[in-house]
Amino acid sequence: MVYFQDAEVLTEKHFQFVRLTDSVREAVRESGIRNGMVFVVTAHTTTGITVNEGLECLESDMETVLCNLVPDDAPYVHAHWLPTYGRTSANATGHLRAMVTGNHCAFPVRDGEMLLGAAQEIYFAEFDGPQMRKITIEVMGE
Amino acid sequence: MVIDLCTYPGFIQEISEDPERVAFRRKTFGLYKQHVWPMKLFITQLNAAGIDKAVLLGEDLTTRCGGCIVTNEEIRTLVDLAPDRMIGFASVDPHREDAPEVLKDAFTRLQLSGLVLNPSTQRFYPGDEALEPLYSLCEEYNKPVIFQMGVSLQPDAPAKYGKPLLVEDVLLAHPNLRVCVSHFAWPWVEDVAALLIKYPNFYADTSMLYFDSPKEFMHHVFGQQLGAFWLDRSLHSKVLFGSGYPRIEQLRMKEAVEDLALRPATLQKVLGGNAERFIYGEAD
Repeated sequence: MVYFQDAEVLTEKHFQFVRLTDSVREAVRESGIRNGMVFVVTAHTTTGITVNEGLECLESDMETVLCNLVPDDAPYVHAHWLPTYGRTSANATGHLRAMVTGNHCAFPVRDGEMLLGAAQEIYFAEFDGPQMRKITIEVMGE
Repeated sequence: MVIDLCTYPGFIQEISEDPERVAFRRKTFGLYKQHVWPMKLFITQLNAAGIDKAVLLGEDLTTRCGGCIVTNEEIRTLVDLAPDRMIGFASVDPHREDAPEVLKDAFTRLQLSGLVLNPSTQRFYPGDEALEPLYSLCEEYNKPVIFQMGVSLQPDAPAKYGKPLLVEDVLLAHPNLRVCVSHFAWPWVEDVAALLIKYPNFYADTSMLYFDSPKEFMHHVFGQQLGAFWLDRSLHSKVLFGSGYPRIEQLRMKEAVEDLALRPATLQKVLGGNAERFIYGEAD
């Protein structure tokens, strides 16, 4: 059996971590699937899904590290007129930071519950906000 | 007070229920992959950028394209959704036989705050006598005029209509009419600078991004095409912040202007003080 749940997130900042763990846990319960896997996938190329300990200090460090790895004002090539869009690209930082976090995470499901380590928090990472974002939670199993 | 003088609201959900209207806007405005999103996201984006008010620009292309990208009624609808955050400008196709009546209605019944014209997409020269009734109405109701000038990023929009020196006839004939050119009429920015120092009723906004990143392009215009000190020393009361949203994000354009290392007093004027004077005619 495969269960899908789509969610929208209205982010409020240009760079923002949004905690998703409770929503994913609830989706797993709603799926009725007892044993399998749950996947959380973002639909965008300037956002990410990542897992870390849910501490404000770590969220701050993650932002610092990502911004050091991908600085705001480097001479990115992705800063030019895009004829097929009718606009200029200006969000290379979002694309490159998203490359670091990746677009998804996965957890086992056992006895109807997501198997999450005690320190693990699922984050949606906004790198080009504010925007209205789409996330898919997919539970596969039996 | 921070005011964005150049935003295009054609993809805000509350006026985008009809898919055919959205398709028309994508085609005629030339923003081909733009998503539709709700007013609450627009306001969230304003908040994130630190912008207090946005000037909403419609565009009447009735005689050439058979409709408006955004009508004056739709502009009013959006202003009513957030009256403390939105300032609505009317658009009128100058080739409409009823153009003066449409503009008068926009100023009186709809209570819009100014007029926006696009010479390239609406196919007219600003000094054409046919425009005189519209300019006279602006003077009568103490409303400013924005000309969308420079190389237009919209399709089928000849640049020959967008040269800023074409506005000089209007400035000479209407010394009390407040006039602004959008996009600093890029690439003719030296012409704009020359008119700015000569005509007290003339302004220009910063909504220009044709190459590179917003910061790089803003530094190119205000540090290479124009003298590095021209804005801070001579044009500090004549340049208005504009983003061109949603063709580019407001946050990035505001940061680009802030990155010009202007004196705090100049930055305050560019980000909002000059716009207040332009829109409402308040004394400097």
